[in-house]
Amino acid sequence: MQGPAIIFERVGLTLSGVEILRDVSFSVGSGEIHCVIGPNGGGKTSLIRCLLGQMPHSGTISVQWTDGKTTGYVPQILDFDKTLPVTVGDFMTMISAPYRPAFLGAKASARVMIESALARVGLGGKRRSKLGSLSGGERQRVLFAQALIPTPALLVLDEPMTSMDEVGAEIFVRLIRELSDAGATIVWIAHDLEQVAVMAGTVTCINRTVLFSGPPAQELAGREAQALFAHAGALR
Amino acid sequence: MSALYEWIRTELQTLAYAGDLPLAFQYGFVINALLCAVLIGPILGGIGTMVVTKRMAFFSQAVGNAAMTGVAIGVLLGESYTEPYVSMFAFCILFGLLLNFTKGRTRIPSDTLIGVFLSISLAIGASLLLFVSAKVNTHILEAVLFGSVLTVSDTDMNVLLVVTIGVLAVSIPLFNRMLLASLNPSLARVRGVRVQLLEYVFVLTITLLTVASLKIVGAVLVEALLLIPAAAARNIVSSMKGFVFWSMAFSTVSCVAGVLVPMQLDLPLPSGGAIIMVAASIFAVTTLIRATAGRFREAEV
Repeated sequence: MQGPAIIFERVGLTLSGVEILRDVSFSVGSGEIHCVIGPNGGGKTSLIRCLLGQMPHSGTISVQWTDGKTTGYVPQILDFDKTLPVTVGDFMTMISAPYRPAFLGAKASARVMIESALARVGLGGKRRSKLGSLSGGERQRVLFAQALIPTPALLVLDEPMTSMDEVGAEIFVRLIRELSDAGATIVWIAHDLEQVAVMAGTVTCINRTVLFSGPPAQELAGREAQALFAHAGALR
Repeated sequence: MSALYEWIRTELQTLAYAGDLPLAFQYGFVINALLCAVLIGPILGGIGTMVVTKRMAFFSQAVGNAAMTGVAIGVLLGESYTEPYVSMFAFCILFGLLLNFTKGRTRIPSDTLIGVFLSISLAIGASLLLFVSAKVNTHILEAVLFGSVLTVSDTDMNVLLVVTIGVLAVSIPLFNRMLLASLNPSLARVRGVRVQLLEYVFVLTITLLTVASLKIVGAVLVEALLLIPAAAARNIVSSMKGFVFWSMAFSTVSCVAGVLVPMQLDLPLPSGGAIIMVAASIFAVTTLIRATAGRFREAEV
């Protein structure tokens, strides 16, 4: 598998007269782990939504696919009515079997795939648990599990570690490495700068526009990053 | 289809005369109502789970009430006052689609917008009813508002059958996508779900079902049958499978019992009212179970 290279060129986004993004240009190499950091409200999630084709942006975002166009997406949080009678298995069936209604249950082959994805995020045996009864970190792991079906060539993560416990964070880091080693391109909105320094091949800092972009060892030591380090809380 | 309905009626009436079925089955209109009930029950119960999940209860009520305006328009335009389906479908579909279109283009909260549309629709309906009352006895409208087993015709059954088949054909393959779209639209879009298009499809589904169910449940109460069985099921289940199947079962039992019980007990109740009262009783029982059963109390923590 070879993940796509991605080129953002002069990307802009204005919603209801408010400028969210301006002149955002940077590139992500094929098979690279690319972290996007920046202050709250700086437009990181909006940029990701542009990448996913969900925002009417200006400029161009060129995704240069080489293998199958499989995108895995892990949203920031699954905000839903926790009393809904939806099990982890129901949710995974919704994802993996688009035309077979979840209330009929997954086919045996799909069930194997679902169990395998759940086991990879450390939730083997939780298929029958109610989604609303899981902890925030466990729900986040379910969201990661769905992104593994089918194996993504491009994995987009929107601050997946926000409500994550230590065990979950370790699992996420391991899986991100595994997918990257297999050739997938990873675009990851992150807030833990130490993690970014260790994991990322390249990093881009966004605050409406690009503040800096390049290898973390070089960029995170720069003056602008240092100023942001001083207000680390603002990076969340 | 009329020949099939006639055959079913004859067979069941023969069994009733022989004493193998309750006496109520001797009447053709009861059999008509029961045929409608076994169609309406499962489909409204199943779709109701989606209405509850997507929090569209108020919308379905608004569509039910819009049907009254549709009837008034139909009578004024010269349609049969017992079966003004063209006007009802046309007005309700226009109402539903316009409401959904406006919802996607304004920042007004959904419930406020539905309230505005509902008020406008009722105002038009109430105004037109003045003219309608000059043409027909307004008591006929009671059948539309509250349902009546006496007035179910072969045409009503045909309309219901076609709508039921159409809704099943669309909603079963799209069930997961509709559900995912309501849980997380962004994730759904990444998975190739056309979220906005499905919103329209769902609105159309509820509208068609509501209009097709009017004769038996009534405009005012059809929404209750979309909600109460699903709400009752939600009290006692923890998976989608349980949710959908129990909701379908509760809805079907309510419909059949709501038609048969008043006949057996000789109670002069409109079918819609009786159906909803049965459904409400089931809801009360499941609420009690939820409040008292240990495993549900634990699940609340």
